[in-house]
Amino acid sequence: MATLTAARKTGLRRELEAIVGPGAVLSDPDELLVYESDGLTLFRALADFVVFPTSAEHVAAVVKLAARERLPFVARGAGTGLSGGCLPAEGGIVISLMRMNRVLEVDYANQLAVVEPGLVNLHLSWKVGPKGYYYAPDPSSQQACTIGGNIANNSGGPHTLKYGVTTNHVLGLEVVLPDGEIVWLGGRTRETPGYDLAGVFVGSEGTFGIATKIVVRILKKPQAVKTVLAVFGDVDQASAAVSAIIARGLVPAAVEMIDQLTIQAVEDAFGCGYPRDAAAALLVELDGLLVGLDAQAEQIVQACRDSGAREVRTARDESERALLWKGRKSAFGAYGRISPAYMVMDGVIPRTKLPYVLRRVNEIVAAHGLRVGNVFHAGDGNLHPNILYDPRKPGEEARVVEAGAAIMKVCAGVGGSISGEHGIGLEKSDFMPFIFSAADLALMHRLKSAFNPTGLCNPGKIFPTKKSCVEVGPVAYKPHAIEEQGLAQRF
Amino acid sequence: MQDALLERLSATVGPANVLRGVDLSPYAVEGRTPEAAVFPGSLDEVAAVIAIAAEREVPVNPWGGGTAASVGMPALRAGLVLGLRRLDRLVEHEPGDLTVTVEAGMTVSALQAALRDRGQWLSLDPPEAERATIGGVLAANASGPRRHLYGTARDLLIGVTVVTADAAVVKGGGKVVKNVAGYDLPKLFIGSYGTLGVIVEATLKLRPAPDTERLVAVRFDRLKDAGAAIRALMSSDLIPNAVELLDATAAAALGPGATGGAPGLGAVLVVGFDGLAEQVEWQCAELARLAAQHGAGDVAPLAPEVWPRLAVAARAAVPVASAVMRFAVLPTQVAELMEHGADVARARGLQTAWASHAGVGVVTASIFAERALREPAPVVAALTAWREMARAGGGHATLDWAPLAVKSQVAVWDDLGAAGRLMQRIKAQLDPKGLLNPGRFVGGI
Repeated sequence: MATLTAARKTGLRRELEAIVGPGAVLSDPDELLVYESDGLTLFRALADFVVFPTSAEHVAAVVKLAARERLPFVARGAGTGLSGGCLPAEGGIVISLMRMNRVLEVDYANQLAVVEPGLVNLHLSWKVGPKGYYYAPDPSSQQACTIGGNIANNSGGPHTLKYGVTTNHVLGLEVVLPDGEIVWLGGRTRETPGYDLAGVFVGSEGTFGIATKIVVRILKKPQAVKTVLAVFGDVDQASAAVSAIIARGLVPAAVEMIDQLTIQAVEDAFGCGYPRDAAAALLVELDGLLVGLDAQAEQIVQACRDSGAREVRTARDESERALLWKGRKSAFGAYGRISPAYMVMDGVIPRTKLPYVLRRVNEIVAAHGLRVGNVFHAGDGNLHPNILYDPRKPGEEARVVEAGAAIMKVCAGVGGSISGEHGIGLEKSDFMPFIFSAADLALMHRLKSAFNPTGLCNPGKIFPTKKSCVEVGPVAYKPHAIEEQGLAQRF
Repeated sequence: MQDALLERLSATVGPANVLRGVDLSPYAVEGRTPEAAVFPGSLDEVAAVIAIAAEREVPVNPWGGGTAASVGMPALRAGLVLGLRRLDRLVEHEPGDLTVTVEAGMTVSALQAALRDRGQWLSLDPPEAERATIGGVLAANASGPRRHLYGTARDLLIGVTVVTADAAVVKGGGKVVKNVAGYDLPKLFIGSYGTLGVIVEATLKLRPAPDTERLVAVRFDRLKDAGAAIRALMSSDLIPNAVELLDATAAAALGPGATGGAPGLGAVLVVGFDGLAEQVEWQCAELARLAAQHGAGDVAPLAPEVWPRLAVAARAAVPVASAVMRFAVLPTQVAELMEHGADVARARGLQTAWASHAGVGVVTASIFAERALREPAPVVAALTAWREMARAGGGHATLDWAPLAVKSQVAVWDDLGAAGRLMQRIKAQLDPKGLLNPGRFVGGI
């Protein structure tokens, strides 16, 4: 929201260039367009500047400048977020961490790595893979999303069912606080004195400061992996199978559900071997010791058969396994082939409420005259209904937003949450009262005040707001600049 | 304390639930006796008690089972002990969701017993589970040997209800296992030692009970060899649920099985495995093979009763301890810290016992009392040297227990640097009047 006078803008640009270097500041409106939204293109907001620091000192200096000038600022990773969390909602400076993407250190003996925030999630596993290690949190966008972005959203992924989400894998962070001070929260050891500030920082959606170094745990790759595909003629049976697996005392690494519409989209696009006529499929992965794995897989097979699976098969080799996972992980891309647009929802429910909630989701979407595809982390009750729509049809986008709100109310109503891994950002700030009282929100606000007393660090997010000066809110769909150039599609 | 205040408290929770005078002796910490102990019977009563205390600016010391009551500095001012023992109900357990909601005053062992009947467990095994309450375990961030595989409270707590210093009832997190809505308030209260709010209810993730579990001991002549064996174990395919390293003195506290009846020198590595019987069997065999390569003796099975002794072994090995220090270091530094730490103490004429959750780098050491209580100087010198050793390697030390004569010379908590100021700002935001456990925690919080 270019509200700065030309003279002030020129002066600020010069100062920013003095900090990060002349090739690391954008202020031309055309260049800024790329940064006006994240993966949720319903929301758009323009920054005055985008800067590309390469060190914590750069970040601190930019933040101090912003504080002095009372300009809002927001950190940004790859921009794959799905809740508008990294948008410059009130203008100001976008601090892109994409040039801080190094693995600084790997300590295999102590199973940790020190990385910069702009490192792409999957690149860490690539780096430590040759020695038999990996980084466990695996969001579906892991080929593009950054560890810093994962910190902001406390990102999950399919394998977090057994291994936990980002916060369970972060030991410490070097953080630039909103006043420009550089502090360490947590560290390399498993315990650090005082409050668990690293734990509080993770998932704070960029409102507590900017992480510039991150100490993460790396895990030994399991000795063996087994992947089972169970095919159902009825969605309720698939839901029942999830409960049956849990009831047998098994903790799979992942339990993913894919519904018919999604299977068909995936098969059209990639041909991954899912039966097109199935009502739903479960992708169940077990890992751990080679000894006993077959027996445990047999338990999974039995649990699925007992629940009415019409077909259960086990991936015979790594390539078959990879193909099944490709189907799961590329589902979002496949929707693009059957619908001009879609909106990814994210909600969590107690696992036992799965059959009821899936029925309600389908009813709600149908009542709004829309279609929905479900592909989600069934094992931990993390739903992703994806509502398909055509933004060119008048009123359709508004109905998507309405249906989304109704689905969130259903999740809240069964004791669930309005976000399992995508965050609140701009998208869901007004849904927070669905699950939190005024007192809950007031305490969160006090916590925010301790980190970010001026509120300049990523303003307008998480908390229900009186809408700010900028028009943030559902606007008519238009493709992102890089989509128009054919450089990317929406996932 | 004014009688008017006590009358209001009595009217709030019932006279039988307010203790005074000699009845307060179990609640004296470091020789300081509170003004009264109050035991509310509901969430609303907790809030009402805090509202009364806040109005009169009387400090509040939340109290579970009292197992960690002496950690930290004693309260700056005498106040009320707020006991949670009457809030001891299991609120909700849905096995299919693998979650449980409990009131803060329920003991860990009572919860585990209730869950065991339904084939599940809370994968947290803090010391003194018979006395330790869920609320207290969370507030003190207590843990045990199985944290090696299953983590600590921060990995299990998904929702929390607290009463804050302004008597507001606040919920953080929720009841579902995955949740990123709003800030992660459960993390804020774990390990906060009651300085930010009184935990009254918690929702935790559960796990299915394993088919089999086994604990085994491997003896080494030297700590160094045990350290090398642990490195090999950690980089192997094995998935132990506990990796404990004890010096011979601490190992003696586990019972005769651990030391092979011949205590004295050397070290004992205790490893736990769970899972299917065949998995446990295979892992024990692999462990034996791997340990033998590092000069170990036989792998000896230990009785299940040894489990709860592991976390308290360093302390239990010493009849009267004059100080207990807890360290967090890198796993590869554990054996060396134990060896050098004992040397440093011995050079000052002090005998010590050392035990550790070696796989996660958490070490506990205690110093024998003997002369030490009369002469704190060598104890102070040893503790100071220990802290320097830990910090030199990037680790931390906390003086878990010591008499005030020692605590007044050796800081309980490490210096926190810049993060400490942030913690003080959080305390000021949540408890501006310093009502909750004032002066007990880091940086005078």
